Amino acid sequence: MIGEPVAVALAAAGLGVVVVRRRSVAIALVAAQSLALGVIAIGDGLGESAATSTAGIALIAKAVALPALLLWVVRHTREPRLIVEERHALTRAVVAAAIMLTLIALVPEVLPDRAAQRCAVALLALGIAIAVLRRAAIFQALGFLVAENGLYVAALAAPGGLPAVIELGLVFDLVVVVVVAAAFSAKIHEHLGTGDTSRLEELRD
Amino acid sequence: MIEAVIIAVLALPLATAFGALLARTPRSADAINVAGALATATGALGLAVAGIARADEPAHGGWYVLDAGGGVFLAVIAVIGLLSALASPLQLAGQGRGLVPAARARGLYYLAFHAFWATLLAVPLVDNLALAWVLIEATTGGSALLVAFSGKRSALEAGWKYLVLTTFGLAVALLGIILLYTLAGSGGDLAALDWRSIAAAAPQLPETGALAAFVLIIAGLATKVGWAPVHNWLPDAHSEAPPAVSALLSAALLPSVAFVAWRVLVTLGPALDPGAGSAVFLGFGLLSLALAVPFLWRALPWKRLLAYSSLEHMGVLALGIGFATPLATAGVVAHVAGHALAKSLGFYAATPLLRHVPDANRQPIRGLAAAGPASATAVGVSLGALAALPPSPLFVSELLILLGGLSAGETAVTIIAAALLALGFLGLAHALIEGLVGEPRPHRWRPGRSARQITRLTVVCTAGMLVVTVLACLLPGSEPVELLMRGVG
Repeated sequence: MIGEPVAVALAAAGLGVVVVRRRSVAIALVAAQSLALGVIAIGDGLGESAATSTAGIALIAKAVALPALLLWVVRHTREPRLIVEERHALTRAVVAAAIMLTLIALVPEVLPDRAAQRCAVALLALGIAIAVLRRAAIFQALGFLVAENGLYVAALAAPGGLPAVIELGLVFDLVVVVVVAAAFSAKIHEHLGTGDTSRLEELRD
Repeated sequence: MIEAVIIAVLALPLATAFGALLARTPRSADAINVAGALATATGALGLAVAGIARADEPAHGGWYVLDAGGGVFLAVIAVIGLLSALASPLQLAGQGRGLVPAARARGLYYLAFHAFWATLLAVPLVDNLALAWVLIEATTGGSALLVAFSGKRSALEAGWKYLVLTTFGLAVALLGIILLYTLAGSGGDLAALDWRSIAAAAPQLPETGALAAFVLIIAGLATKVGWAPVHNWLPDAHSEAPPAVSALLSAALLPSVAFVAWRVLVTLGPALDPGAGSAVFLGFGLLSLALAVPFLWRALPWKRLLAYSSLEHMGVLALGIGFATPLATAGVVAHVAGHALAKSLGFYAATPLLRHVPDANRQPIRGLAAAGPASATAVGVSLGALAALPPSPLFVSELLILLGGLSAGETAVTIIAAALLALGFLGLAHALIEGLVGEPRPHRWRPGRSARQITRLTVVCTAGMLVVTVLACLLPGSEPVELLMRGVG
């Protein structure tokens, strides 16, 4: 079960990624979000070895390994100056909140835990909002993690939970996608001298 | 026995990938690639034939299903994977530093290529929606690297856009899958998302929840199929990827994801208002056609033109799936096979084009007949077939789909689709004439290995398309089509 306060805290961490300036702070927020979810999942799975192991693997991947990888990329791709976003932080927060609330209103309640469903949809919406509103490649990669954390909340709330094989498949896919995104981020920085993806605008018809 | 063959077919490209990665010389990496591809395609085609031949008695296992529909898509993925593997060595010749250092480029290319192919081969075989999702998402990482393989800034942009858009799209689809899993009262049992279980549970599902799950799943998968309006990555990725990868993306990846979407419609459709599921597909189909046609009229670089043609043809597939009549279903089957051969030939023709015409990646092709006859023939056959000029299999398949639309009572949609297809035909016909007999651009054509290879590929693809044309005429009313109409397995 994910209570209302935890759901709000998880969504607030997601919203934080929309507004914070520094990439390292955003990574820390996502790592904390993943850690909290991992602890909840391990707590839910206590007594079932398969569920606990799966939750442990997900926790290590999402709260430790992937944030560490992204921090490593940040250290090796120093920005000459902070990337100037297209919109002010407050505007970004309002737009992200609007997307989040719209999606929550649109998806009918299916999961038995109402707070969990809202939290899941909110995090998915915030992940998409991060990709749309932030220019740095690392932030967009963090968007994947926030969205996946939303799906993880939904999976935890599904009666019986998702089967271990699917959860492990999700973790594997996430690791591959974030590793590839990190490689892209480094390569984009090598080409442009910055991780600002808005400068990748060569392909137009 | 079948399970062992399936596992072998999926393991072979993975073994090939690591074999090529560890090869000591480029020549041995190429040889491992070709040998592995031949073995993989032989096994996959054997499975496909078994699936189609035993259409009335599909093979089921704990995680797989080998039925007629899966057999058709498996055959297409096998053939296009083989042709792309055969076309890869020439494309890699002279590859300098790209995304990865030149010394490791070939091995890493084969690693990503064969891993991507292995995952694609598994998609039509898995008997579970969640597993199919995991596989589709697993194609993203490797294929994104392949899209950006040249390491050029434009390729990085295309690869990044592809990675971001399809990953978020698939995340939306996964939310739909989890909602469906909850609605089905799974209690933690993976089997609740088997195709037959979904079909059995569908009539009892609450309509609103089922509709939400359906829309999320299909909208999410649509980003990977490249259906408009969530297609933005498609023109960039197809135009920037190496030609053999573009062929695999357009001719194998997009249809195989469309196949999963089709299975969702067939199995979950009974939970929805009559016609609601089909309406979603018809909407994607018409929008894709309407957005593609204006670009088919523009003077675009060759691969970019092919990319917009993919958008058009995925729209045609969506219409055929949405009409859901026996004629339209026969049309979809023929369209998948015909489009795959015509489109991949077009992409293979890009290898000599890019080598001999310096600005081929930025400018439309012109006057090719006078410059490079082998490439001109490939371009002419490909574009003629994609424009649905008889005897192209796409002429028969589009006709079947439109007739299927009329028999479904979707007269307005059919008329609009026919008008858009006619406009698309005119655009491609103009590109064909300009490309072959227009004022030639500066070039440095020399007869050589690339000309010989494209000639061989043209012969193979043309023969394949003629076979598909004949089969397309025999498909309506056939047993595999009847079984496809009934569902999965």
